[in-house]
Amino acid sequence: MSRRLTGALRVAAGAVGLTLTAAILTGCSASGTQDVHFTFNKREAITFMEQTVADYNASQDEYNVVMDTSGVDPISASFVRGNPPDLMLANYNHEVSRFVQRCVLEDLSETDAAATIRDEFQPLLDQFGTCPGRTTALPYSVMAASVIYNKTIFEENGLEVPTTWSELLEVGDTLKANDINPFYGTFADAWTVNQGWFDYTLGGAIDVQSFYDTMAEQGTEVGPDSEVSFEKDFLEPIEKMQLLASEYTQPGAGSRLYDVGNVAFANGEAAMYMQGPWALSQIEITNPDLELGTFPLPMTEDPADLKVRVNMDLVTMIPEEASNKEGAFDFMEYLFQPDIIQAYNESQLGFVPTKDGEAPSDPRVEGMIPYYDAGAFYQGPGILNPRAIPTENYAQALVLGTNAESMLRTMDADWARIAFRQPAVSSEEGN
Amino acid sequence: MSTIPLNPDTTAKKATSGADTGSTRSITTGGGTPPMKGRKSGRWSTTVILILCAVTVLLPLYVTISMAFKTSGQAVDGNAFSLPAPFSIDGFVQAWELTRFPVGFAMSFIVTAGTVIFTIILASFASYAIVRNWDHRLFRYSFFYLLGAMFIPFPVVALPQIQLTGRFGLDNPLGVILLATMFQLSFSVLLFTAFLRSIPIELEESARIDGATTWQTFWKLIFPLLAPMSATVGIFAFLYAWNDFMMPSLIISDADMQTLPVRQNLFQSQFSSDYNVAFASYLMAMAPAIIAYLFAQRWVMEGVTQGALKG
Repeated sequence: MSRRLTGALRVAAGAVGLTLTAAILTGCSASGTQDVHFTFNKREAITFMEQTVADYNASQDEYNVVMDTSGVDPISASFVRGNPPDLMLANYNHEVSRFVQRCVLEDLSETDAAATIRDEFQPLLDQFGTCPGRTTALPYSVMAASVIYNKTIFEENGLEVPTTWSELLEVGDTLKANDINPFYGTFADAWTVNQGWFDYTLGGAIDVQSFYDTMAEQGTEVGPDSEVSFEKDFLEPIEKMQLLASEYTQPGAGSRLYDVGNVAFANGEAAMYMQGPWALSQIEITNPDLELGTFPLPMTEDPADLKVRVNMDLVTMIPEEASNKEGAFDFMEYLFQPDIIQAYNESQLGFVPTKDGEAPSDPRVEGMIPYYDAGAFYQGPGILNPRAIPTENYAQALVLGTNAESMLRTMDADWARIAFRQPAVSSEEGN
Repeated sequence: MSTIPLNPDTTAKKATSGADTGSTRSITTGGGTPPMKGRKSGRWSTTVILILCAVTVLLPLYVTISMAFKTSGQAVDGNAFSLPAPFSIDGFVQAWELTRFPVGFAMSFIVTAGTVIFTIILASFASYAIVRNWDHRLFRYSFFYLLGAMFIPFPVVALPQIQLTGRFGLDNPLGVILLATMFQLSFSVLLFTAFLRSIPIELEESARIDGATTWQTFWKLIFPLLAPMSATVGIFAFLYAWNDFMMPSLIISDADMQTLPVRQNLFQSQFSSDYNVAFASYLMAMAPAIIAYLFAQRWVMEGVTQGALKG
């Protein structure tokens, strides 16, 4: 028995050893081309990007781009290890911005791609942190988000897209009178509240960028007596949000999840839906023929205040320690070619951040084009707050009707406490 | 080798059957304690509880299987328990391509097999040495040292491990095998030493008298006797290595060598839900564990009770 067992063990161990050696050896490039290690993990766009990579590899014989979709954690680990990817195309947020803040990325300001980017985006990127003297992240795809509405329901009830707060309430009242739910709330999923209700109401009411710049300057001073504070500036829009959430949503909104909301909205159970464009493809799965449109949430009586929420869905970055920077720069310039960046954004309903970029042709995002083109956009407070403030959960509590004043006071206290440990950055630093 | 007149197989059987009778006896006495009159109703309530327990396993399994065969549209309609109509294998096709299933499977298999083999061999070596030299302070302290590792979870040492493996060129499945083995070692040594203590020293002495070296005693006598415990240790190592997400995701630097759980992370996105693809992929990843269980059922049961009684 033991001989059989040891024999089996030997065979197994040998097999493991052999396969490993083979696997390690295949890691080396067979032909004369140099590998470019490219990370990308936007699930919905992987097929598109695979095709782009294949096209690039076929178009020249110097570099061979290898795409890695294994996620953000392995990327962070690769920085620790000292073998980061050559080119990253990633969602821009507080986590990724750390690479920028710690100056471990190459300066991209001299590239052709950088020259084509609209100037309005740099302050938005800087809100997350900067590396003085360097432009290390270039926006590749910008997602614009605003209220999604069911065009058919609006037409049937003779409604126009509201441009002021009182018009919005009128639309809501008319819909309620006709037994239609004005909004579909998915409050059980805190993140939907954060990126929808919370961000839209605040972005429509205040100047987010200058608010956060002042907040960053005040730092530990934020409190009841400071010039700006969550309690002072957020209170009015949050109370409006609470009014919409309590009076103009379907019954049981507090227990509905994102997935449930997508199916219900696709089946025409409500007229308006506060989700970003990511929900559009999910609604399409259930009801591909639904006619949808988008409009920025009006929070004031002045239509000139209308703005759409944007986020830097994808930015390109090249780590300083990358082993094949030339290849990374070459592939990056390829990605920024007008027809490729255009086709990518068209396929994902994204907006092109370049100066001569064209808006996506999809009618569902048409309503946001004028605002995007005019630069009337903001980044959501929901993602601008440091991660150490549990904004998602606060937003959820607020939308479910908790006392806004005391909740916002808690947020102020959180801000001051975190600023004591790690001062926040303002969009003006480093410029 | 032929000089040893001892037949380890019979001895092994005797020892195991001895242990078995012991355990059966203790179970019977335990079961006989409740009073007679409550027995019938007691059995009913036990059945109900067991049925409920079974349902908590079977229901999610049913949802997994039916979801995997649904179309994307049906998967999100909110009726998790409905049967797939139309029946679609699209989810499997997509999951197969997105995770590059054969490669991912091979990597998971290599990591798991390596971890299981190394864990069993290393832990039994260490336990044998420790138990037979318990009088020496060095061995006793090394036992406590190994047990101490139980209190260190991987995330705590993740960063230094990433750097270390990177510097030694171990940022690949081999590094994961080594680390996973190390993390399994303490618990496995605990199980093995507890079991080894129940093996009478006289057995070994008889082998010594017949001229067996320590190496021979271990391989011919002790290791076969350890078989049930090796199964237990192997099962724990298998479950850990097959399901682990964090270690491979951080240690393996080449995406082509990534294991299945890390590849499947792709399906968990906040914004989109491809339940059919995700569940198809989970089902494919689950299959080996289920098949392994079907074949090794007897050993698993034996091993688990061994662990419960001796550990």
